[in-house]
Amino acid sequence: MQERLSEIQNQAKEDLAKAESLEEVEKIKIKYLGRKAGVINEIVKAIPSLPPEQRSTMGKSANKLKQEIGTWIEEAKVKFADEGRTSESKEIFDLSLPGKRKHYGHRHPIVQTIDEIKGIFKKLCFDIEYGPEVEHEYYNFDALNIPADHPSREDFDTFYLGNKRLLRSQTSTVQIRVMEKKKPPIRMIAPGKVFRPDTVDARHASMFHQIEGLMVDEGVSFSDLKYVLTLFAQSYFGQDIKMRFRPSFFPFTEPSAEIDISCSICKGKGCSVCSHSGWVEVLGAGMVDPNVFETVGYDAEKYTGFAFGLGVERLTMLKYGIDNIRLFFENDLRFLSQF
Amino acid sequence: MKISYNWLKDYCKHDLSVEDLSEKLTNAGLVVDTINPVDDDFCLEVEVTSNRPDCLGFIGIAREVATIVRSELIIPGVDYETTTENVNDLTGVTIEDNELCPRYTARIIKDVKIAPSPEWLQKKINSIGLRPVNNIVDITNYVLMESGQPLHAFDFDKLSEKRIIVRKAKKDEAMEAIDGSKCTLTDEMLVIADAQRPVAIAGIMGGRDTEVSDRTKNILLESAFFDPRNVRRTSRKLSLISDSSYRFERRVDPECVDWASRRAAKMIMEIAGGQVVEGVIDQNYIEGKNVSVALRMSRMNSLLGLHIDKETARDILENLQFTIKPEGETEGNLTVEVPSFRGDVYREVDLIEEVARIHGYDKIPAESNIGVKLTQDNIFDKVTEKTKSVISGLGFDEVITDSIVDEQHERHGTIWSEMSSLKIINPIRQDENFLRKALVHNLLRVKKHNQNYGVEKTNIYELSKIYLPQEDDEMPEEKECLCILGEEGFLSLKGVIEAILSQLNIVQKLETMRFDFGLFNPEESAELKLGGKLLGYIGELSREVINDYDFRTRPCVAELDYNILIDNTNIESSYRKIPSLPMVARDLAVVSDEAVTWAGIKECIESLNIDYVYGIEFFDVYRGKQVEKGKKSIAFRLIFRAEDRTLKSEEVDKLQEEIVENLSNTFGIKLRA
Repeated sequence: MQERLSEIQNQAKEDLAKAESLEEVEKIKIKYLGRKAGVINEIVKAIPSLPPEQRSTMGKSANKLKQEIGTWIEEAKVKFADEGRTSESKEIFDLSLPGKRKHYGHRHPIVQTIDEIKGIFKKLCFDIEYGPEVEHEYYNFDALNIPADHPSREDFDTFYLGNKRLLRSQTSTVQIRVMEKKKPPIRMIAPGKVFRPDTVDARHASMFHQIEGLMVDEGVSFSDLKYVLTLFAQSYFGQDIKMRFRPSFFPFTEPSAEIDISCSICKGKGCSVCSHSGWVEVLGAGMVDPNVFETVGYDAEKYTGFAFGLGVERLTMLKYGIDNIRLFFENDLRFLSQF
Repeated sequence: MKISYNWLKDYCKHDLSVEDLSEKLTNAGLVVDTINPVDDDFCLEVEVTSNRPDCLGFIGIAREVATIVRSELIIPGVDYETTTENVNDLTGVTIEDNELCPRYTARIIKDVKIAPSPEWLQKKINSIGLRPVNNIVDITNYVLMESGQPLHAFDFDKLSEKRIIVRKAKKDEAMEAIDGSKCTLTDEMLVIADAQRPVAIAGIMGGRDTEVSDRTKNILLESAFFDPRNVRRTSRKLSLISDSSYRFERRVDPECVDWASRRAAKMIMEIAGGQVVEGVIDQNYIEGKNVSVALRMSRMNSLLGLHIDKETARDILENLQFTIKPEGETEGNLTVEVPSFRGDVYREVDLIEEVARIHGYDKIPAESNIGVKLTQDNIFDKVTEKTKSVISGLGFDEVITDSIVDEQHERHGTIWSEMSSLKIINPIRQDENFLRKALVHNLLRVKKHNQNYGVEKTNIYELSKIYLPQEDDEMPEEKECLCILGEEGFLSLKGVIEAILSQLNIVQKLETMRFDFGLFNPEESAELKLGGKLLGYIGELSREVINDYDFRTRPCVAELDYNILIDNTNIESSYRKIPSLPMVARDLAVVSDEAVTWAGIKECIESLNIDYVYGIEFFDVYRGKQVEKGKKSIAFRLIFRAEDRTLKSEEVDKLQEEIVENLSNTFGIKLRA
């Protein structure tokens, strides 16, 4: 019987090679694999009459051959696949049907903004650093030249955890941690979560994200600060934006600046986003205060540097015209899947 | 600080429109937030940063404007006629704590007529949003706004023994303030007292008993310098904030104390018809040390990155009323004496900022010659990029949830720490005051939110920190966790984790250990281990949790210790040769007891160490008609191949037999017919 099987195998191969249409392939399928009179089925029916010791082997072989021929037939069908549709039926494939879509996951818009900004600063040779979210008061205030009991601490209103621990209210903490570890030159940005006990409304959340930046070396000037931040703003907001650097105050920089860009919504004409001023504030920056250098043991005569900080939610809201910061943390998929 | 456009012109002549004025102030660092028309005037809301208390008065802002437009600063005169009586014969001032009150002045004005202020004064008071009260109160407010120096007028005849004692309050001493608040004082707080009782909380608010009323005839006018920190602490403790406390806690100009008092006395005399008693009681413990700072042009220009010449710098500083000392001047240096109202300036860099901001930040070029530098690799970012692309690709949306949660939030338990959560001392809402110890509960909440809005399936993930408390209030462990919530069942979610491990080239085996945890259905939940270390957990939510959240689906959740993934990641991978010879695949189905696991079967086959076994692939588990009750059928594929030749069918048969026999001996399983 084994010989019979080889014969069938060869014959089927030959038949399929000769087939010239889908119809012929279908006929071959019936000839070999048909339930009633198929060649293979005939063999299988005959198995019980074999001596018991042969039955199992024959059964397996027959099954294997059946599978094999089945595979060939499917392959042969592919060759004539076009036929069925064009000549034999009146079916017209509707090309306008919607594609079968798989859901592709979206990264959170805040993460996308952080990633984009990291990308820009990587091109400017800035390292990426991270720091803890639960901080010691020292890193959040003292080392940043924010004296205890000073009104400027109020600008960085803070959640306290006891034993001099707090939730950092600014990513500037990472400046200190990096300078404690490394010697200049330093070029880094540090993205991360910060926390402030602000009353939650459309513009304020008790948790949000900032990116801190720091560059320290010999001879770094305010001019470098303007250069780097201009490149950043043009890269992120577009080449044609206008920028305004105006004096401000941060305890850890001197001179300090706040940086506005021309309002992208009204193109500087004045609208509710920019409080009708035509400008929106996007960055805080300044030359690192000598007191900060002293704290981390840098020679403030030898080294100078600049630092900057930005609010990630704010930039994301500006970029997409989002009017409520709470949307970021409600995580409504109808919102998240737009990015 | 609110300023009036018209009123400001009293101190500095200029012809700027209100818009131009606002822009110029903003560019010099005094941001004008809003401009509101008030009758024929404008009220400008100026944002004064905490380092510039000198700009908390019209004269201070006028000084900036005069510098910017190069016009003259006009300071009103303070000369007046006095009576022949001397103030020292009428009253006395005792300062018990001259650290908290380094300067106190008192003047007496007699026979005033309390009446509404004249119209021009009321108009000015109104223009900056204050409410006129009577001529005396309006004048003290007027001078406060003009000079930034707070003043207080006591009804002199109501002061017990007609004298002033500046002292610390006694514990639990009480006083009713002008605004009606009843204050209970502590012995840390500084008060102005008469012979019997406190009559004002120093620098913050006067007392009701001694305030100026319609029947007041004689006035004691106070002008002082109080310690900023003490005023601030007291103001916070009493929750009492006033225009005075706002200025004292930012530090007033110690040299303006007497000027403001004279200015007010003169106005009272002119407007309320009083007579100023000769002299002043001026207890002054402030040591008049004038700060001198050297300014090197070279340092200034290298820090700013531009060239400003010495004359420009001199001009700017002199206009801001700094004094250039000729004896300290050299070709490249200026020696600059800082006026008393600029406590924020005491170093060279502070002077550099003064010059830069008036000169204009816009004049500093945006130029640089910073070179390129190789950045450091950041392993966290590299692993994260790979991990997130796998999860996104598999259809999961990323969420970011709040680190601060309420006490009930983690009621279904967390596995990372048994200790009670870190607590925020000053939360915004009393119930939201804990730092999360797990991400899973936040993801359940996100699912709930979405379900409420009709989104049935939420395949989501978050990569964020959790905060695990340590003994003795030490810094917590901030554990970076990856939490995934999937709606396609346990094995799908496990498949996501396996895909991540594979993308990260992690070779360590992922082990699943059955575990019992209230969050999960005990049948389908496991602790996950990687290379023997706890990686996290995975499981289908328990019925109880489903009911609690009222979910309409039954999601599975996994939470992983992300650092374990990072530690085991192999960023560098090497190429594995693609087999050139064909493989032989054999599909098997075996019937086993329920207790037999796939991991057991796989391990058993692997332990035979058969060189030619190239792969063992699971298909499915079947229970039903064709399988004996209480047993299950496991189908899988064995893939055989040799490096150097094509395996013969008979060889494979033999290997397969060996495998089946071993499985049979170990687990008592049978090949399914």
